[in-house]
Amino acid sequence: MRTFVAILGLLSAASVNAQVKLPKYAHEVLANGVTVDLLPRGEFPLVNIEVLVKGGNEAEPLEQAGISDLTVQMLREGTAKRSADDFSDQLDALGGSWRAASTAQAARISAQFLSKDFDQGFDLVADALLHPSFPDGQLTKLRSRMVDQVRSEKDQAQQAISRYSNAFYFGSGHPYGRIADEATLGSLDRAKVADFYAHNYTGANIIVIVAGRFDENAAKAAIARTFGAIPAGQPFQWAADPATPTASGNRLLLIDKPDATQTYFTISMPGINRTNPDRSALWLVNTLFGGRFTSLLNDALRVNSGLTYGASSNYQQDKLTGALRISTYTKTDTTVQAIDMVLDVTKKLRETGVTPEQLASARATVEGTYPTRSLETPGELAGQLGDIELFGLNRGEVDDLFSSLDAVTVEKADAVIRKYLQPDGLTFTVLGNASRIREQVKKYAPAMVEVAVSQPGFMIR
Amino acid sequence: MAALPGSGIAPAQELPITSTTLDNGMKVLVEEDHNIPSVALYFFFKVGSRNERPGATGLSHFFEHMMFNGAAKYGPKQFDQQMDRAGGSNNAYTSEDMTVYTDWFPSNSLELMMDMESDRIQHLAFDPKIIKSERGVVYSERRTSVDNSNRGLMQEQMQAAAYEAHPYHWPVVGWPSDIEAWTMDDLKQHFAMGYAPNNCVMVAVGDVKTDEVLRLAKKYMGPIPRHDPPPPVRTIEPKQTGERRAIVHKPAQLPLEMIAYHIPAAHDSSFPTIEVLRALLAQGQSSRLYRRLVDRDQLSIDANAFAQSNLDPGLFVISLQPRSGVETAQVEKAAFEEVEKLRSAPVSDAELQRAKNQLLADSFRQLQTIAGRANLIGRYEVLYGDYHKLSTRGEDIEAVTIADVQKAAAEYLNTDNRTVVTLVPEKKTGVSE
Repeated sequence: MRTFVAILGLLSAASVNAQVKLPKYAHEVLANGVTVDLLPRGEFPLVNIEVLVKGGNEAEPLEQAGISDLTVQMLREGTAKRSADDFSDQLDALGGSWRAASTAQAARISAQFLSKDFDQGFDLVADALLHPSFPDGQLTKLRSRMVDQVRSEKDQAQQAISRYSNAFYFGSGHPYGRIADEATLGSLDRAKVADFYAHNYTGANIIVIVAGRFDENAAKAAIARTFGAIPAGQPFQWAADPATPTASGNRLLLIDKPDATQTYFTISMPGINRTNPDRSALWLVNTLFGGRFTSLLNDALRVNSGLTYGASSNYQQDKLTGALRISTYTKTDTTVQAIDMVLDVTKKLRETGVTPEQLASARATVEGTYPTRSLETPGELAGQLGDIELFGLNRGEVDDLFSSLDAVTVEKADAVIRKYLQPDGLTFTVLGNASRIREQVKKYAPAMVEVAVSQPGFMIR
Repeated sequence: MAALPGSGIAPAQELPITSTTLDNGMKVLVEEDHNIPSVALYFFFKVGSRNERPGATGLSHFFEHMMFNGAAKYGPKQFDQQMDRAGGSNNAYTSEDMTVYTDWFPSNSLELMMDMESDRIQHLAFDPKIIKSERGVVYSERRTSVDNSNRGLMQEQMQAAAYEAHPYHWPVVGWPSDIEAWTMDDLKQHFAMGYAPNNCVMVAVGDVKTDEVLRLAKKYMGPIPRHDPPPPVRTIEPKQTGERRAIVHKPAQLPLEMIAYHIPAAHDSSFPTIEVLRALLAQGQSSRLYRRLVDRDQLSIDANAFAQSNLDPGLFVISLQPRSGVETAQVEKAAFEEVEKLRSAPVSDAELQRAKNQLLADSFRQLQTIAGRANLIGRYEVLYGDYHKLSTRGEDIEAVTIADVQKAAAEYLNTDNRTVVTLVPEKKTGVSE
């Protein structure tokens, strides 16, 4: 494969700069606070039903990391009228797909059915969301399986380093730094899950999105009959964004994986939240810096030097200020060479800024590929609507995107580079064969912390 | 566009595809879809690791990388930079059977894409300095996807053990020593062998006019001279006559288990039945392996099965991640019992229909995007020699009977035809020396 980046769905504007629009959709808030978005579209006989429950990982009590994920995954493991087996038999008989996961801001069910099966598919979704019975036996099984999944992630370096990076960068006092592990999952039981469900899965916190080919009136009626009939409850209170930590020297976490033949590392620094006014400019800057194949990072570390298969940067877009993160890997012997090169590329970009040609190219890439990555399938459209509802945005987020990108000047881009691509106060996370790199990586942060990959969990306690 | 028939859920009744063969033998398949103003342009070269030889394994995949490193008109980095400026993006993949280049772009960039593709197909550059650098990239890819990936390593061991004679024995990415040893001559010979226009299928799906695609194809692809395609792969894997095992010792938190059975090539008439078998065993939480191993007995974190659809006979692979404290022997015993049940007793009507419905719904999902359709149309053309097979997929799946399932299970999922690979964790704990 050329790159691991899977680009599955694509659609593009006729001209690179022709603004694409979010298709028309119906938005309604029911009396009990349930938000409903209906977006009928497409010749394809598929319908996506998505339910978001506000809160997600941010709603988890301090010592209960993983409870939002456990709760949302438990929804199909038994309901008032279906056993777990009945549920699976019926879902699979429809050829339906079902994804359940908790993200930073929301627990999320994404289901897809053939359009002709809308009624049965919707009944499964509503039953799972509104009448879960959380059978003790199924809960015990799922919880212990999730513990083993945490262990299994340790065997997959790229997944593991992402977890370690979040845990170390944010710390266990921050919702994004609390990573589920043996200890937090082990403390969860049926009573806690039922309690979490009762507090969070209420009308005021639920968003129902239907996109694809379906009958709008039938969907509206079905939602009113089910989701419309639950108690409003209390709206989830979002936590205030903690002040961005000020730079006070570098930090480094070294994770020892003695059998690793290459070193994986990330460098994290403060980024933005989802509604930050710099988001359009940072999108363009990150595209140039580490967001595409021809980016400065990939060009230096892969194309020009052959040090790695891929070097990239990305930034979180969540409710709270997230991290901007550089990620790559290289063979053990070239660890320092690669880290130095990343720092050098970053420094040079700070010093030189971008040219008008670079900025135009980044804009063409973002505008040309944005609709194809975000608006082609019902699932992608539902994702857009989910973002709009969760973060209090509006359809301008899509409809005015290109004009906001076009408005980014070279001066603005350079200012954003200087603001976010910091030369110090960096958080390094390095995973590899510690005996061979320990002494060398000390230079980045003399007071580094070291753990063994076999040590339970990802959080540094 | 696929249509939903009045009853039933058969996908892709008839995709409106135009098929043309240029004078030099390049096949051009076009499906117009004006719902979105964008194009997926895919090139399928019928050359992969099965066309390689010992000592030069991984060349097809290396070529996939080199194709982005400069040609006559568009020099190093130009392909990607031009693509960026046009608002497009690209990727590529290599398998045992083919090397595939994938471009997605706004429809007004069609001519630029044709020009750039033609340039690299015809006039690829061979710069020793770039080759040296790209060798490092490919080695890093191998380190990531095999050497530092337990599943990747297991899969490599599985192929190597299951195939003794056929080229599916060696990995697509290549053996490490071969990656280090390729010579310039090896590279040039491989390029001359694989990149003939008569060895290529081009697929354009999206906001295009068929006439315009053909005009540009004639202009840019037409002048590429026809030459001999890769010689036929003569070796047929001898019938396996007893279980084979491979064991991987590696530090790991949890063991891994892969069980592989030889199955026929994709074009074989039994392949739809094999896909049904796969769904029965491992698709969804109602599947037999999930219900037994993951849910009831709690032996495994997950239960996956995959049927390789290849030009030559491939493998049916069951992949399991045992729970902590569970021995691989326990996991495989339970898995073998579930496989045996498919051989010894017929499945119910309801269970068979469930598996079929899952497969048919999946087909729809794959056809949702222009990229998904371009990929499927090209793969079907290469694997079956005829993209029309895509249109009959629904009927082919629906036609599978209870007896077919039991017969195929008996024929293929048997002990003598089995290769078992286990990863046994070596516990290295604590901070190293």
